[in-house]
Amino acid sequence: MKESDDILGRINRNDGTTVPEGYFADFAARITASLPARPELEDANNIVEMPRTTWQKIRPYAYMAAMFAGVWCMLKMFSLMSTPVDPLAIESYPELADALGDEQFMKQYVTDDLNQWELLDELAEDEFDLSDLPMPDSIDSESIHNLPENFQ
Amino acid sequence: MHKQKKKRKFELESIFQLHLRLMAVITTEEETILTDRLRQPAQCREAFGEVVRLYSEPLYRQIRRMVQRHEDADDLLQNTFIKAWGSLENFRGEARLSTWLYKIAVNEAISFLDRERRRQNISIDDQQLQLSDIIAADSDIDGDRLALQLRQAVAKLPEKQRLVFNMKYYDDMKYERISEILGTSVGALKTSYHLAVKKIGQFFSESD
Repeated sequence: MKESDDILGRINRNDGTTVPEGYFADFAARITASLPARPELEDANNIVEMPRTTWQKIRPYAYMAAMFAGVWCMLKMFSLMSTPVDPLAIESYPELADALGDEQFMKQYVTDDLNQWELLDELAEDEFDLSDLPMPDSIDSESIHNLPENFQ
Repeated sequence: MHKQKKKRKFELESIFQLHLRLMAVITTEEETILTDRLRQPAQCREAFGEVVRLYSEPLYRQIRRMVQRHEDADDLLQNTFIKAWGSLENFRGEARLSTWLYKIAVNEAISFLDRERRRQNISIDDQQLQLSDIIAADSDIDGDRLALQLRQAVAKLPEKQRLVFNMKYYDDMKYERISEILGTSVGALKTSYHLAVKKIGQFFSESD
């Protein structure tokens, strides 16, 4: 490679070919004279302007819409990339967020943390027969004997 | 004597490089003006005449380096301009005017070599030898022995490498521009040029 570079460096970039004297001047004159007539190019009256297609008409608007869509997607992507999502954040669970926003749900299932006595009290108010209930382990027969009178 | 020769060579190189730089500056501006004029019905013929005057020499050199014989290069140059004139409406100005003309000229030269191979029923290797013989017998050559040998070495290169070498070495074109003309990636062109230079080196070491 180095050897060939040396050789190329020693040679003029002129390829050494010659042409007959005045060849290029003659050539230009010869070609210009022999160019066939092109009325469709040279006669302004023959040039018919093509009607614009529907696509050509709407193209700028389509490009503009695509550009705005692209910018919107880009901004959306940047915002997703810039705020890391906490897996434990409530925003990650929209159903749970809805449920917690529901006042009735919160009252019934979360805030109203009834103890066993309060539950039994509520059931008695609703005239519920306690003997139908399967007794949980934490309520033994002794506890039932100790119930207020209206429960027995 | 040797010092004088070296000085003369340096002067010639400098003039050649300056000529190329000037050509590049002038043609870029002129091309834009010419492209506009070619689109105007009243001026297109006259503008095309200027295109012929401006580009006949560089296109001729390119074709001549491919086909070697002056008569063939002259015919192909004529065809190039006639084709360009015939399909002027296809030139949309997306590429440079000279790039478009170079493409036509290169296609003309390659098609000619293909036709000649078929007409004479010879292989690519035979045709390369034939081109090398034409160079050896070319009475028009006024260069030195090394320049003649280089032309012979280049004639033995595969077509693509020959085109790339001619454009890069003799015309000092940038790879990006050659890429536009030949429709090949810059990386592939660099590889072609590298291979061409390597083969030329081998040719010279074998002929020593």
